[in-house]
Amino acid sequence: MERVHNISFEKNKMGMTAKNRIASAILTAFFTVLGIVVVFPFVTAVLASFRPGQELIRYGLSIKLDFSEMTFNNYKYLFTGEHSYFVWFKNSMVLTVISVVLTLIICYFVAYGLSMYDYKLKNLLFFLVIATMMVPFEILMLPLYQEMIDLKLINTTAGVILPGLCGASTIFFFRQYMIGLPRELLDAGRIDGATEFGICIRIMLPITKPAFAAMAILSGMGAWNSMLWPLLVYRDADKFTLPIGLNTLLTPYGNNYDLLIAGSCFAILPIFILFLCFQSYFIDGMTAGAVKG
Amino acid sequence: MKRNLFSLLLCFVLAASLLIGCSSDKTPATGTGSASQDQETSETGTQEEATAEAITTAGPEDGTHLEMWTFVELHSDFYAEMLEQWNKDNPDKQLNITFTTYPYADMHNKLMLAIQSGSGAPDLCDIEIGQFPNFLQGEVQFRPLNDVIEPYKKDIVQSRLDLYSKDGNYYGIDFHVGATVMFYNTKILNQYGIDYTKIKTWDDFTAAGEQLKEAGGGKVYMTSVDTGGTDWLWLAMAEYGEDYTTDDGAPDIEIDSIKNMITMQQGWLNDGIAMISPGGQVDMEEGFANISDGNIVAFPKAMWFMSRFLNYMPEMTDTWAIAPCPVFEEGQPRSVGIGGTGTVVSNQSPNADLAAQFLAWAKLSYDGEVKIWENLGFDPLNTTIWSDETITKDPNNKYISYFVTNPFDTLNEIKDEIGKIKVGTINPAISEQFNLTILNNCFENGADAEDELATAQDELEIEY
Amino acid sequence: MEKLKKLLYSQKAAPYILVLPFILSFAFFWIYPLFSTVKMSFQSILPGEVEWIGLKNYSKLLKDTAFHTAIRNSFEYMIWTLVLLIPFPMIYACFMDSRLVKLKGLYKALLYLPALTSVVVAGTIFRLMFSEMEGSQMNQFISWFGLEPIKWLKVKSTSYFALLTIACWRWTGVNMLYFLAGLKNIDSGLYESAEIDGANGLKKFIYITMPLLKPTTIYVLTISVYAGLAMFLESFMLWNGNSSPNNIGLTIVGYLYRRGIEKNQLGYASAVGLVLLVIALSINVIQLFMNGTFKKEGK
Repeated sequence: MERVHNISFEKNKMGMTAKNRIASAILTAFFTVLGIVVVFPFVTAVLASFRPGQELIRYGLSIKLDFSEMTFNNYKYLFTGEHSYFVWFKNSMVLTVISVVLTLIICYFVAYGLSMYDYKLKNLLFFLVIATMMVPFEILMLPLYQEMIDLKLINTTAGVILPGLCGASTIFFFRQYMIGLPRELLDAGRIDGATEFGICIRIMLPITKPAFAAMAILSGMGAWNSMLWPLLVYRDADKFTLPIGLNTLLTPYGNNYDLLIAGSCFAILPIFILFLCFQSYFIDGMTAGAVKG
Repeated sequence: MKRNLFSLLLCFVLAASLLIGCSSDKTPATGTGSASQDQETSETGTQEEATAEAITTAGPEDGTHLEMWTFVELHSDFYAEMLEQWNKDNPDKQLNITFTTYPYADMHNKLMLAIQSGSGAPDLCDIEIGQFPNFLQGEVQFRPLNDVIEPYKKDIVQSRLDLYSKDGNYYGIDFHVGATVMFYNTKILNQYGIDYTKIKTWDDFTAAGEQLKEAGGGKVYMTSVDTGGTDWLWLAMAEYGEDYTTDDGAPDIEIDSIKNMITMQQGWLNDGIAMISPGGQVDMEEGFANISDGNIVAFPKAMWFMSRFLNYMPEMTDTWAIAPCPVFEEGQPRSVGIGGTGTVVSNQSPNADLAAQFLAWAKLSYDGEVKIWENLGFDPLNTTIWSDETITKDPNNKYISYFVTNPFDTLNEIKDEIGKIKVGTINPAISEQFNLTILNNCFENGADAEDELATAQDELEIEY
Repeated sequence: MEKLKKLLYSQKAAPYILVLPFILSFAFFWIYPLFSTVKMSFQSILPGEVEWIGLKNYSKLLKDTAFHTAIRNSFEYMIWTLVLLIPFPMIYACFMDSRLVKLKGLYKALLYLPALTSVVVAGTIFRLMFSEMEGSQMNQFISWFGLEPIKWLKVKSTSYFALLTIACWRWTGVNMLYFLAGLKNIDSGLYESAEIDGANGLKKFIYITMPLLKPTTIYVLTISVYAGLAMFLESFMLWNGNSSPNNIGLTIVGYLYRRGIEKNQLGYASAVGLVLLVIALSINVIQLFMNGTFKKEGK
């Protein structure tokens, strides 16, 4: 069901008037220009990845194209060279999968508890969720680091994932989505003799899927790209994730820019493919979970 | 829809496991592969550090295991070579060391966190001299190295040990003296009829700059001034015998040497004799490009910059000469020790004694010092090497053959003139003031040096 | 045993069990470190020498000009992101929602694409684009208009331009999607009746769209305030490190990082962190109360 409520120009609902055709052309042109502007840095980065990396650092990213200079060497090196890129890639993949799966499951249950029942502490708890959302993680970084050492979780994937598992914004989003769902379903389930948790999993979970899709992409993005906290927690270089690894290539004494630029371009791929595949669910999910007054 | 969601997760898991599968055999192996040689200058064979391999392990597996962090790949290559020799000489003390190279900032930050939290520090670690004071605050968490340094002490430049000491204990061992010298591009200077050996004072230097500007039509600059580095200022302080910290370690930056240097450089900029270093200073990729493009013909830098020439500008052989630095007034000392890497042994290490023995032997023994010169191109701490002609006149040495002049001639000439600037707790804050604020304002915006220094001095006093 | 099981499965206990993970995580990873931060902010912490120094860290903050620069920078950045990243995405969303736009899926995907890129990658790309070298893209671009090359990242105005370009590039698409989602929830009947009353596009936007988008706007505002004040990595990547000329790129979190991690002053860094906490929390609480969010939750 595509609801139409444009702010615009149509008076006649029957087909396109000349005026609408012009408006349509203008809008389409507008978004095309916007799209080109947005894609421009990607294009130049991709083009640059076919040029010697050192030149890039020395002279900056140039607009000029010199096809004679282009080589596949950077990519050849990326795929066949002796380096840790695919170790980082694998680490990022594992970290992302584990943290997305666990985050989604836990946040779903918490949000369910915050939206489907009425009890005294509910508002207080929700306030706390919002409060955690508004405190920059970086403030807690140093004591958290200390805590991870005390808990013997330093240098472990658990140490990287645990503090972010109950992501406030994910809970918030799920909760917003679920308060829009009819509670009658719960009562119907109870009458059928289902347990509370049975209802939560068998009845409610299936209809929350759009929210899952949206949150899978959002938290996947976060995990794939997170840098500061994993950098602190991981000590061994063989545990590094992509952002950390790519950042290590930026040292002025390493000459690793070839790998950096090709690797950076390649690092965008997985999350991009994920997004393309689930784009429609993502937007549906975002829509349904949008903040309601 | 449900199926889709789970197939998404499934895809993810599959892709991940696939990658685990195919990359497990690619985990870092021993040895340093020379990467990206296709584009780099492999034909000259000088490109030693082009490798993305951040971790290497060397030594027999049943040896005592040590961890070591560095921030320069070449350093770990050097240690690995020394380790091989150590294991040959000491069958009863076999060592197995894992070297990890991190980016400069990451390494120091990680070490700091490990020290703050009391666990996770490596057994051995390189620390850059500018960062060292940060690690000497409070109770020092490193093993004092006095006992292992003792056997080598008589031949070593004492001031380089003092830099890493606190309360009579030495905590770090350096690679080099870091004597600052002037590098001159003889090809361009000859082309315009300028004889660099005649340059004795900064006035001569300025005059040569004027001559170059006239002859070169403004395309070539005499030098580039740094907005992100204090080397020029250190040189000036050493020439005047001043220091920007007092004996108690308090900041004192409103001194003549600094004012004179900044004012003189502002004059160069106004006259078009000098340019501002791209990237803030010459020891950057942008700086290397600037040098190899022939935009500047002279600059002062510590001896260790020789290795940058060989690594980043291999095509410029027989171009550059090394000479003592100009001075403000004749008779002033002509050099200063700049830069350094103090290697420490953490007291968190279960094998601290063994680590300390290896460290002192690797960096201070005669063989080690020779290797430091041959591999890294640093001016070694052991001054007896400076006059060992089998080394200083070795025609096969890549550093000696690259430059127009013999580096050791200059080094021996200024041997007793190498000044020392104290490095204390306030130094990181002072460098920050200069590199982020003062030099930028003075050179980019033409601000008055005295005003800038006064403002910064006030801020530093709050800090102190 | 049976009773316990029943209790656990009861409607009363269920919500508490469900929210238990949050309570645990809140206690361990939020309250506890927060208290440590507060405690540390009254201490001077050096290895082996922890000392209570009362309010000294805070009194030093008052005199610390670099810290004031950091606060000013973070604030300015936040304000600019609010100005750029709320109205424009809202308008784009309205355009996008119109049936006159073709290929919506493509445009949405394109605009969302930058958000998928990590800051490390994006920052590196933009640093090279805004390089001070003559051949860099931005310098070539302005040379078409006859302008001399600029040292983009050495001057505050142009470096903010670069920082905000990154912010807009990365977040316009995301915020647009939030607003699009909000638009989908507006009853189209409202527009139809407004049309019958003869309202034009602009009027519909002002009297229907904007008020009904308020919840979405509040949400976007809240996360933008947070993200703006906590910005660090963008600046870190753009200047390839935590130091920029004249501290033009220094943010509060950057300063916290500099003091706590680079300079080994955990106590002082904690005080910096708490100031940030107080600023972020108070701005958002005021903003949320003014918008009446908590009142509505209470119903």
